[in-house]
Amino acid sequence: MTPLAKNSPKERDSALLVAVAAGDRRALEELYLGYHRRLARFLSRFTPRYENVEEIINDTFMVVWQSAKDFRNASQVSTWIIGIAYRTALKSFRRHKNHNGAQNLEDYPEQTVDPTLDAEVSDWLMHGLRRLPVEQRLTLELAYQMGHSLEEIAAITECPVGTVKARMFHAREKLRQYLPTLGGGPSDVPARLG
Amino acid sequence: MTNNRRFENSAEHQEVTALIPWYVNDTLDEQERARVNAHVGECASCRDDLAMNQRIFDGIAAQPALDYMPMASLKRLQARLDAVQGQGPPPQILPAEPERIESPWRGLIAASIAAMTVAIGLLAADRWVQFEARAGQANYHTVTNSIPRPTGEVIRAVFSPTITLDQLQAMLDEAQLKIVSGPTEAGVYSLASNSSLTVRSSLALLRQHATVRFAEATTEPESGNAP
Repeated sequence: MTPLAKNSPKERDSALLVAVAAGDRRALEELYLGYHRRLARFLSRFTPRYENVEEIINDTFMVVWQSAKDFRNASQVSTWIIGIAYRTALKSFRRHKNHNGAQNLEDYPEQTVDPTLDAEVSDWLMHGLRRLPVEQRLTLELAYQMGHSLEEIAAITECPVGTVKARMFHAREKLRQYLPTLGGGPSDVPARLG
Repeated sequence: MTNNRRFENSAEHQEVTALIPWYVNDTLDEQERARVNAHVGECASCRDDLAMNQRIFDGIAAQPALDYMPMASLKRLQARLDAVQGQGPPPQILPAEPERIESPWRGLIAASIAAMTVAIGLLAADRWVQFEARAGQANYHTVTNSIPRPTGEVIRAVFSPTITLDQLQAMLDEAQLKIVSGPTEAGVYSLASNSSLTVRSSLALLRQHATVRFAEATTEPESGNAP
């Protein structure tokens, strides 16, 4: 066990990654256990099968193991690892055509819903999110589920900040169409859609 | 409405609208946050947008998330690393072994330990034979039928009453166990291995969880000792 308990999470991650780069399997395991919960919770929102979640996480840490020596502190270790997971997930979702978010919202124009009860909003939100293009949903979930800043998402997705803003804008507009009551009440809808 | 249209066509409106998700997740710096506050105070459209984004944010936060136990997944990663590296068995996540002390007495100490181990083993075997002989002549009988039990080595376990089915299943998957009987009225489950993993290893994995109140390995006899 690496004696890093007194350090901040960032310092701890950096020290662990240095050890991983030197071939320390125990450091990799510690890093893995530190990120597994966060990544599993994030990824399980995109695929209901834990086998897929595990495959993405383990593929991610194979890359971490092989590429740790190339990490140059251009970003935080967490941003770097989540960036690898993002790209691995994107490839996996594209490979598995049965991914829930593979369809565009435009394919379901008749499915616009108007939930009237707060208790149902969460379920309808989930339906709406599943119909977003995968890049838009990943961007939205990175912000709203994982709490990343605009700049962090740009680093994770390796996109300009403007692209991140555009993806988020389109995601929000599509959700607005799918979930017209999210902005307030039904009375707000005509003004917003008009 | 005229005021809103004026706002919506402005560059400031477009820029602030794009920042709203990060205002909601509280990652803007002070300057950007003040900029959003100032604009939202005057722009009804952005207030609606902010309300909508807040509801999406709250909705996502309110959705339940499953927690997975990572040890089984980590073992599979270790196996992949072994395959890549051409190594032997993966290292266990245990404290590092203490350094060995080189000493001229080391051989003698080792021989003494070996002799003591053999002696203890013989003593234990003798006690076991005596115990088995006594067990075959039970001087009691039960008045109820015993619950059918599987034969072979099993684990008896009691879980926290608050454990969910998903947590239980994930824990059993990780320890590569299956429920073969139970729970009894006392809440005892009998678990058997469903893989080549030894019962001892499964037991160790099981005992890592706080929701496991009790877990012991036991060997079920071929037939019960109840009459």
